[in-house]
Amino acid sequence: MGKTMAEKILSRKCGRDVEPGELVVCEVDMTFAHDGTMPLAIQQMKNELGTTKVFDSCKVAGFCDHASPSPSSHISNVHTMMREFARENCIDFYENGDGICHQIVLERYAAPYKVIVGADSHTCTHGAVGAFATGMGSTDVGAIMVYGKTWFKVPESMKIEVDGELGEWVTSKDLFLSVVGDIKADGATYMSMEFVGKCIDDMEVEQRATLTNMAIEAGAKLGLCKADDKVKEFLREYGRGDEFEELYPDDDAEYLSEIFIDAQDIEPMIAYPHRVDNVAPAYEFKGMHIDQVCIGSCTNGRLSDLEIAAQILDGEEVCKDTRLVVYPASRSVFIKAVERGIIEKLLEAGAAVCAPGCGFCIGRTVALGDGEKALSTQNRNFKGRMGNENAEIYLSSVPTAAASALYGEIVDPREVL
Amino acid sequence: MIIRGKVLRVLPDDTNTDEIISGKYKYDVLDIGKLAVHTFEAIDPSFYKDAKKNPGSILVAGKNFGCGSSREQAPRVLRECDISCIVAESFARIFYRNSFNVGLPIVECKGILAHVDKEDELEIDLDGGKIRNITKGYELSFKPIPDFMQNLLQAGGIMSYLRKSGGYE
Repeated sequence: MGKTMAEKILSRKCGRDVEPGELVVCEVDMTFAHDGTMPLAIQQMKNELGTTKVFDSCKVAGFCDHASPSPSSHISNVHTMMREFARENCIDFYENGDGICHQIVLERYAAPYKVIVGADSHTCTHGAVGAFATGMGSTDVGAIMVYGKTWFKVPESMKIEVDGELGEWVTSKDLFLSVVGDIKADGATYMSMEFVGKCIDDMEVEQRATLTNMAIEAGAKLGLCKADDKVKEFLREYGRGDEFEELYPDDDAEYLSEIFIDAQDIEPMIAYPHRVDNVAPAYEFKGMHIDQVCIGSCTNGRLSDLEIAAQILDGEEVCKDTRLVVYPASRSVFIKAVERGIIEKLLEAGAAVCAPGCGFCIGRTVALGDGEKALSTQNRNFKGRMGNENAEIYLSSVPTAAASALYGEIVDPREVL
Repeated sequence: MIIRGKVLRVLPDDTNTDEIISGKYKYDVLDIGKLAVHTFEAIDPSFYKDAKKNPGSILVAGKNFGCGSSREQAPRVLRECDISCIVAESFARIFYRNSFNVGLPIVECKGILAHVDKEDELEIDLDGGKIRNITKGYELSFKPIPDFMQNLLQAGGIMSYLRKSGGYE
């Protein structure tokens, strides 16, 4: 019987053929946590296992990204505790302003066939380069930091085959929002969502990472794309060409369910409050005033995202009644965006460009006011997510967000650009 | 293990971990006791007080309970509120795993919503895979929890399991 990509990776890791539903214990190639989850992981190691020593200092990393730069003395103290742990263990540690864990892991650690566990639900992002990457809680990650292993249930897989080409100003974000609108927030619970087809083959890793990042929004354990020439190119760009190896699903792999999509049918989409699977085409919200537009996050804060935003905003001005906040996903993204003149264009258009990090997405360093509406390129619009339960969050692609910033209201980018 | 208690709340489908414990608190407070005061605060401000007044209560929920963020603080604050068990139509993956890791019993039971109201008294037989609604005189079955997960619960969570067994071997 053929194998899906998830089954191939776990079979190799276990040294035998594994089947969906089996519980297996296997080694973890890389694990990480951030300022929202690492303190609890360290506390658990110390209190429950009586150690603060990690199993392999090259396979563990820590990130100050969720509340960064630190907005309070409490959080600064949390960062200090993490810093001490990192120093004692000689692990890689990413400071305030270095960027979002998922972007940095994608740039520096993720590779085909690697098993990666992060103490953050969006760890599934790294399937964009063919890694078996999934989010767990602090205690699981604390245990991995000590033992270097964990247990997994081998997931069933869902095939999402996308053929054809996406239209102008339509992106992989719109594609995912359409999918989750159809299958709903629990449509892929515990599954490996495997994205294949010509439309995915044509996408760069950055666009694929938007799809895999959001797999968790449909309940999935993994989001996976093939490791092909685009992945090879991406790894080479970050000086890790030698970590490449091909990963494809077998032609006769068995899926629990299959979805077929013609990319031409995808339109610019909006997820409206307070659920990611409340989805409708952007034109249905035409004219709705937006107080703040947010571009960034582990979903859409990469170089190509900022580039397209700058292209739309170049020489224009953000609407007077609307604020535009931009967070590049990492320091490397920020530097490249400065070098290419992207940041200058965003600043001239009126954007507040902030230090790389999670920023607005979880309302730690930027929060909404009562009754305000935000249009954001992030992945979640749960009530209270952006620091205020009396605010509303709408989700969209970067082109829809940037075009809407110009008008101060939600627009369909195809109609105005 | 048999758990007996009253249903404190019946929660809808897709209750997410941001609702259980808001992200705005979790970075400031490492003390779960202090954090628990804010459980369900934005959608159900009296939850904490009601739960503390009725220790050992059971939560019943719809599909996909605990979706969203991986924050383990979610099952931890519920345990801190003295919730003895959560019975839902289904759970989100990370929440499911986290609950066993922190020693909070949870049960996936299809059809539960149709047969339970707030304040009903339930008896849950974790080994036998049975839920008895004592108030309504109705019994439902669920797929028993896998042995490995039962072992985690009996040990009191993943850390004590690993401590006792000396690792995964």
